[in-house]
Amino acid sequence: MSFVLFGLGISSGIAIGRAVLMNQTPLEVSRKNIPPELVETEISRFDKAIENVRKEFLQLQNNSKQDQSQNAKNKSKKFVELSAFLNVHMMFLEDYEIVQKPKDIIREKLCNAEWALIQQMNFLVQQFDSFEDNYFKDRKFDIIQVVERIVKELLSIKQNNYQHHHKNNKNNKNNQSQNHSQEQNQSKNQNNKFPEIIVAHDISPADAMEFRQQQKNYAAFLTDVGGLTSHTAILARNMEIPAVLSLKNAQTLIKPNQLLIVDGLRGIVIVNPSPQILDEYNLRKKQLALKKDYLKKRLKSAKSQTLDGVDINLYANIELPSDAKNALEDGADGIGLFRSECLFLNSSGNSNSNSNNNNNNNEKIFNEDEQFFAYKSVAETMKNKPVVIRTLDIGADKVLPMFKNTNTSALGLRGIRLSLKEQHIFNTQIRAILRASAFGNIKILLPLLTNSQEIDQALNLINQQKDFLRSSKIAFDENIQIGGMIEVPAAALAVGFVLRRLDFISIGTNDLIQYTLAIDRADENVADLYDVLHPSVLILLYHTISSANKVNIPVSVCGEMASDSRMTKLLLGMGLRNFSMQSSQILKMKENLCKFNVSEITPIVKRIMKLDESNKIREALTKLNEN
Amino acid sequence: MQQQVITISNKLGLHARASAKLTQLAGKFSCEVWLTKIATKQRVNAKSIMGVMMLAATKNTQLLLETNGKDEADCLQEITELVNNKFGEGQ
Repeated sequence: MSFVLFGLGISSGIAIGRAVLMNQTPLEVSRKNIPPELVETEISRFDKAIENVRKEFLQLQNNSKQDQSQNAKNKSKKFVELSAFLNVHMMFLEDYEIVQKPKDIIREKLCNAEWALIQQMNFLVQQFDSFEDNYFKDRKFDIIQVVERIVKELLSIKQNNYQHHHKNNKNNKNNQSQNHSQEQNQSKNQNNKFPEIIVAHDISPADAMEFRQQQKNYAAFLTDVGGLTSHTAILARNMEIPAVLSLKNAQTLIKPNQLLIVDGLRGIVIVNPSPQILDEYNLRKKQLALKKDYLKKRLKSAKSQTLDGVDINLYANIELPSDAKNALEDGADGIGLFRSECLFLNSSGNSNSNSNNNNNNNEKIFNEDEQFFAYKSVAETMKNKPVVIRTLDIGADKVLPMFKNTNTSALGLRGIRLSLKEQHIFNTQIRAILRASAFGNIKILLPLLTNSQEIDQALNLINQQKDFLRSSKIAFDENIQIGGMIEVPAAALAVGFVLRRLDFISIGTNDLIQYTLAIDRADENVADLYDVLHPSVLILLYHTISSANKVNIPVSVCGEMASDSRMTKLLLGMGLRNFSMQSSQILKMKENLCKFNVSEITPIVKRIMKLDESNKIREALTKLNEN
Repeated sequence: MQQQVITISNKLGLHARASAKLTQLAGKFSCEVWLTKIATKQRVNAKSIMGVMMLAATKNTQLLLETNGKDEADCLQEITELVNNKFGEGQ
């Protein structure tokens, strides 16, 4: 039967493909089909698990009561608190929503108890997430804790009669991908000729990185949660594939391998479409592709310029050498940010080497020639257009195998700090970049600068490598430009020391905001505090841009902000003329720019900069963008 | 069936422990017990702690308490008392 789901449409486009389900709740549990005759057995397995957990809780509570009486006064308050929460958890084990609902799901969906329970948990957690009051919001963790206990118990109860359906249930966490493929194999059917569409609760940056490494080319993303600015949305826009987010319960309604039509423009998902609908969408898909082609051809050759004739440079952010070709096709004026660390992350994936063998791995990943060829290929692809290569920037969310044991906090040993500590890695990379600079217009970008000593030290190391190449008679660009990332508030506030030492600067807004507002980007509990329009952020941006303009040092913005069309006027008004973004956004940006009048925008932005409250800034910016 | 509008007056609202007390008390009666958040019309079974917590009722939230069954009068009275006594929390 065909049905339609509605959500938040991301990136205009249509995809037609078959569903691949992915579950990544804290407890990775995969869906298994239960034959109807074994449903009651599955339900009694669930009842048994609940009963066992209840006994376990009761035991805990009795123990705590004994402790309490022994310790009399000093610790008693803490125990009362604990025992009260345990009491609440025990009540969960008697609650209809936890005890009864999953059984209904098992009967209705003919699925395993773990999956049913996780579906119900997701449903409940979503309800709690929607509360404004933080106390009530946080109660979802109580639910998750209880569900985790039950699932663990379920996994330890033998699944006698239907083992072939439950083969992989143990150690689920470790072999999810295995489960995945098994699921797919189980339901092989005529839909196999269609590309895959991933259906997930949510897609994390780590999942996305994995997709890229495994070269999984999903035709679309569907998720139960997520907003316009979620990672999934950014990823979908970047990959130019349609996505529909916030579908609430796509994961329960869509079955593996079902045929799906995803309409990213309208935020619609059609499950099991009829042949007529399928034909119509195939036609629409073709028309969209034609229109996009036309826009591309017309805009690609056009210069990026505002209405009043101000030239703007639009650069591309890339992660892999193969992205350069797309950047050129999308009409980029160059590469504004080549995230070189992605090359390494990728190389470790391809080399397939054993991660226990650390030494071997190091050499493999940081091979100078491998790097040289990668940089050279980008430089050559871009012809004489600039290619800015950022030296290794291992962040809190990106970890290389050999640094797995290092603490990679956002405030820790990352960016230039790591490079200056592990100089052999930095030197190898600099040599590779310098050698490649003979083949195009390459520039070096140093990440996470905080003080002048770091710059001096890095420049010194670069000079040493130049000397080495000179003495070895290896060609490189003698005038290679070196720039710095402004992503730490310290560097933005005292930007003079950077401008005096380097040839250009690039502002990384994502990290700058994270550091300015003290918000860990990886911590979802504070995600709502991430405010692009916080006055402090705008003050830092304005100060950095105007300071650089004053001394004629080129300045660009390369964070998410650069491609956010709501921010374009604001940045133009601050004096920014260089934007670096995902190449798929460039044409759209060009189209916008030719409608803007910088001489009109600038005085308005100067007035906005006098506001010191996010709300007022947001209001004023909305007005500016509406004009 | 009996009805009564009650106002949550304790500082923390219907937080976990207060919800537990309310649910446990409701569970002692054989009648049906329903709570409706007046502002949103959200209606939950007061015998389900999950339901009660999902009301996310903070201080000053108005709720409609409905009881339906043999002991509905006693139940209505005891629950109203519990709420008005700020769940025995003193604030």
